[in-house]
Amino acid sequence: MHRTEERETLASLCESLARFARAEIDPLRIDREGRIPPAVLAGLAELGFFGLSIPERWGGAGFSLRGVCDAVTALARLDRSVATTVGLHLGLGTRGLVAFGSEALRAAYLPELAAGRKLAAFAATESGAGSDLAAIATRAAELLDGRLRVDGGKIYVTNGGLAQVFTVVAATPGLGGARRGHSLLLLERGDPGLSALGEEGKLGLRGSSTTSLHLDGVEIPRARLIGEASRGMEHLAHVLAWGRTAMAAGCVGAAQVALEASSKHAANRRQFGRTLASFEVVREQLADMAALAFAMEALVHETCAAEDQPLLLASLSTAAKVFCSEGDWEICDLAVQLHGGAGFLEPSGLPLLLRDARITRIFEGANDVLLAAHGTWLAAAVPARRALVLSPRLSGAALAADRLHATFAQRRDQLRARLGVRLLLQQRLLHRLGRLGVLSAAADAAVSSAESKGDAQSRHLAIHFVALAEARAAPLCTDPAPLDSIDAITSALLAGQAS
Amino acid sequence: MTLTPSLETRIIHMISQLSAVRPAEIGMQDRLREDLGLDSVCSMELISMLAEELDLDVALEEAMAVTTVSGAVEMARRHVLAKAG
Repeated sequence: MHRTEERETLASLCESLARFARAEIDPLRIDREGRIPPAVLAGLAELGFFGLSIPERWGGAGFSLRGVCDAVTALARLDRSVATTVGLHLGLGTRGLVAFGSEALRAAYLPELAAGRKLAAFAATESGAGSDLAAIATRAAELLDGRLRVDGGKIYVTNGGLAQVFTVVAATPGLGGARRGHSLLLLERGDPGLSALGEEGKLGLRGSSTTSLHLDGVEIPRARLIGEASRGMEHLAHVLAWGRTAMAAGCVGAAQVALEASSKHAANRRQFGRTLASFEVVREQLADMAALAFAMEALVHETCAAEDQPLLLASLSTAAKVFCSEGDWEICDLAVQLHGGAGFLEPSGLPLLLRDARITRIFEGANDVLLAAHGTWLAAAVPARRALVLSPRLSGAALAADRLHATFAQRRDQLRARLGVRLLLQQRLLHRLGRLGVLSAAADAAVSSAESKGDAQSRHLAIHFVALAEARAAPLCTDPAPLDSIDAITSALLAGQAS
Repeated sequence: MTLTPSLETRIIHMISQLSAVRPAEIGMQDRLREDLGLDSVCSMELISMLAEELDLDVALEEAMAVTTVSGAVEMARRHVLAKAG
């Protein structure tokens, strides 16, 4: 679908969504009851939300990643559990099938998934394999008749209690020739040997379904391999890039709601005979929140623009996931603070926003693991930076973004020269380098976005964000504290703790 | 007869640790990614472990160029010889 047509379709969809949401979507009730009412899911299916990312030939809307992300942002403004359920279906749940599935597999499953008559889930995490996906123990072995037998178990499966179709990551040693490899498999809820366990009780996202999956001798035809045998990790990189970007888009929606609530509160709440908004500290906090939210959205859009460039997409989606999940948390936390005692009470809606935000720093790759991996990639690959093309009115912000990138590049080159390949064993240095790279990418995106929007408010937001980013980057360029004290402290803490 | 394991044996042992493929199943011509399932980060981790264990100064560019088991062995041998003088 052409981008203009996509924008028009989305705008009309969002109008229908707003009408539907007013009547049907009650976030506090969803949170309280721990489930999304079936009528809400049916209504979203009727509106076409579950087919947005699926090509038109299989009954979907054929949206680009950008269109999908804009839709997830719109949903997250209404309710995060709903956005997660739909976003997971559109991203991790169906992306493998859309991008790598055989013609027969796509024809068999995508029409039902696009219509929302079936929901999709994605199962990678295991009790012994969280961020370390290479440690996955679920195995699929080829039987004499050519079928595959799948044994193992998955945990933290989003949509696990709702989905009829699961994309499962399994170790498939020997399959396709490689002695060690992983593959993506399509499993159905009705497959004998597959069982989803009960719903987990969670801190947030309580309306979103999360279950474990038990796989005991599940036999499937080999045709249910998604993509090529033993190239699962390569396929997974693409699927995760989509999933992480869509998740970051959800963070944008939630952060916008928290910012709007805070602005309204600051404009109306009076203390010491003045509105909160008349206090300099409050105005600074509001400006920080707004600049952060602006940069978050800009980075998501920048990531979407790299949809057809696999390496850049992988890198930017990691940056967007980390930056937006942390930004979401920071903005929601500030929103609670600005509301004072009222912000601590559930009816304000802010505790729900804060609780829902917390998991985003953990799932789809824990941020600390992603930052170290991102630092590794930035150190080793030395990716090129796209030049910022700017009007004179943004030259100050552009110069600051250039300065920030130069700080990052200088630090990277210094570490490469000092440590060579041994830099890759220095996790704390890589973590800091990864964070510097994330800040630089966000600054570039904010400046580019302000340039493309062209209005005064966007310009101010970009200028303010780049200043914030520069201040946050400075401490990342120093060497971390010596390990002696850290090792001594942690040794004492850990003594006798291993069971 | 040597008392220390050969370079090949040490490297194969490291690859086995990273890939969970048994040492006996790892051949010198194996490709780190396609045959042994080591992604690019894992492959570089292998070279960094090697550099640490053998106290070698290896540039990141050189590490990135290693794609096979024999490539890792050759790279390590080159550096060991250069270091020896």
